[in-house]
Amino acid sequence: MPRLTINGKEVEVPAGTNLIEAARRVGVEVPHYCYHPGLSIAGQCRLCMVDIEKTPRPTIACNTQAVDGMVVWTETDRVKETRRSVMEFHLINHPLDCPVCDQAGECWLQIYYMKHGLYDPRMTDEKVHKPKAVPLGPHVILDAERCILCSRCVRFCDEITKTGELGIFHRGDHSEIGLFPGRELANPYSANVVDICPVGALTDRDFRFQVRVWYLDATKSICPGCARGCNIEVHTNRRRPHHAEGRRVARLKPRYNADVNRWWICDAGRYGYGAVDDKTRLRAPSRREGEAVADATWEEAIAAVAGTLGRLRPDELGVIASPRMANEDLFALRRVLERRGIRRVGCRVPPREPGDEDDILIRADKNPNARGAALLGLDGDAAAVLAAARARQVKCLWVFDHDLLASGWPEASVEQALRAVETLIFTGPNANATSERAHWVLPSAAWVEREGTYTNFEGRVQRFRQALEPLGQALPAWDLLGRVLVALGAPAAPPRAERWFGELAAAVPAFAGLSYRSIGDAGQAAATGPA
Amino acid sequence: MTASRVQFSGEQLAEVRRLQALYPDRRGALLPVLHMAQDAFGWVSLDVEEYVAELFDLSPAHVHEVVTFYTLYFRQPKGRHVVAVCHNLSCHLAGAKTILGHLKTRLGVEVGATTPDGRVTLLAVECLCACERAPMMQVDDRYELDLTPEKVDRILEGLR
Repeated sequence: MPRLTINGKEVEVPAGTNLIEAARRVGVEVPHYCYHPGLSIAGQCRLCMVDIEKTPRPTIACNTQAVDGMVVWTETDRVKETRRSVMEFHLINHPLDCPVCDQAGECWLQIYYMKHGLYDPRMTDEKVHKPKAVPLGPHVILDAERCILCSRCVRFCDEITKTGELGIFHRGDHSEIGLFPGRELANPYSANVVDICPVGALTDRDFRFQVRVWYLDATKSICPGCARGCNIEVHTNRRRPHHAEGRRVARLKPRYNADVNRWWICDAGRYGYGAVDDKTRLRAPSRREGEAVADATWEEAIAAVAGTLGRLRPDELGVIASPRMANEDLFALRRVLERRGIRRVGCRVPPREPGDEDDILIRADKNPNARGAALLGLDGDAAAVLAAARARQVKCLWVFDHDLLASGWPEASVEQALRAVETLIFTGPNANATSERAHWVLPSAAWVEREGTYTNFEGRVQRFRQALEPLGQALPAWDLLGRVLVALGAPAAPPRAERWFGELAAAVPAFAGLSYRSIGDAGQAAATGPA
Repeated sequence: MTASRVQFSGEQLAEVRRLQALYPDRRGALLPVLHMAQDAFGWVSLDVEEYVAELFDLSPAHVHEVVTFYTLYFRQPKGRHVVAVCHNLSCHLAGAKTILGHLKTRLGVEVGATTPDGRVTLLAVECLCACERAPMMQVDDRYELDLTPEKVDRILEGLR
């Protein structure tokens, strides 16, 4: 392990570490554009110059590996002057369109100009003009004039997705990023190029012109789009509700996790949050009698549901839980089932179309918590529950999240089952064909509106935080289940998701020893070995 | 995807394999193979780029990078002959402007264009390293030196 000195501080780093990463370890930021820890080294932007003792001139830090005894200085006058000059070159042809540029506020040209540039521009000639507002694909739009040719996007498509759509065409100051004529940037991870673009050249068509980034709040979360559980940030717009047509979730961004998704997320996950602010959201408890649907209070709804659960025999009760529910919800549900001795429970409903999968991130199982449901023992035979309903053995069926009528099960047999039960209860954040058949609808909060944990397919338990208030009267599923539990005679129910998780960890061996604190931001493995 | 007319002969394909084997990374043979393709198909169309990309197992975008970087690949159909007049310093001082003007008049085309009969493409280029006999131009693969309008006329006569 080479030991070197950076700005007077000694540090030991693994062999092969470059000087940008080595400097990071002693809290020194070396400014850079083209270097990205997830991609190969390009040495293209020339901004990460540092002084190394016994070398005649400043050297790029990204492509220099730490060597034993190396003495590095990152803030000498010569380095500062070099950076200023490099910045001046980068900005020679850059348009002054920050006021209309989506990147403004999170643009590394702006940030580094203020930190390392601050020169008086000397450019008096006409700037080179290039294509602007060119859609590259469904999610990404290009402004070639803003591009500094760092080639991160090109390397991403070459090295991560291995699809190679992008290239740098032409030469000198006519060089520009682009696609092979007639092709588009439509790989399943395309929008990651927007995240890694350090400037405003590649922007997100979904987010574009919705809201200024400085009005956004960021909340750590987990993508609910598949069993991978990619770590994300939810960016919400609460301070300018009149922008973006009332959309509260402005965008999702990947959050680095070395063991799960590194720097990336797929496009399906990134743009999969639409249901949160959708008009299908269920905002209040409701009851249906015949064709008439009327809102109800939570007190009425909980009393009615608990009354039905209490009145019927346990084998007349069936539950189809959901692998989209958090561990806390599933454990609260388990408490309800235990209290009434309900055994007819399952959670896996086959999708109509098999999910796509690849060897990067995307998993065929589109549920975030199927593993958690299995570890909690709620992974029973859902088809058997439905069959029992069809056979009129089950009189009350409680369905969570699923639209059974849009599932892989034959629609006619689902139809038959839903018609056969006396009471159909639905809990979920969004309406669907199944919820429309329900006699009681208990609306639950969307995942961004509450906190909780999911267990990904590898058994990693990961926390997601609350970014928004629940819409309307919706409650976190653990909360409404806790109220049902109390209505069924339990002395009390935990008042917070964290307390539910504590009870879960005490009761389920796979989660023994885990807590919100120990899970932290990076997640923690459940004990999933042979038990 | 590749148009059927864009296809090397067996002999040409063998040459592609030979060139690719010369480099540690076969991508090194991209330039000579693109020249081969230009000779074989007349110019480097997008179809040709895609065909060459297949031969190298590269994405077409990366072949497009190379083709747009260099000036000697023709991305539009060119004439049967290419006349490239040097307009750099020595030739300029020795009257390249007159030579170029004469060619434009005689051929009836601007720089960068091809005569309607497809006979000649006229180009203006930077120094071709024959300053001692300026003004000069390159006609296909040969240099024409010490140019005068009369000499240019004789040369054009010879281009069919």
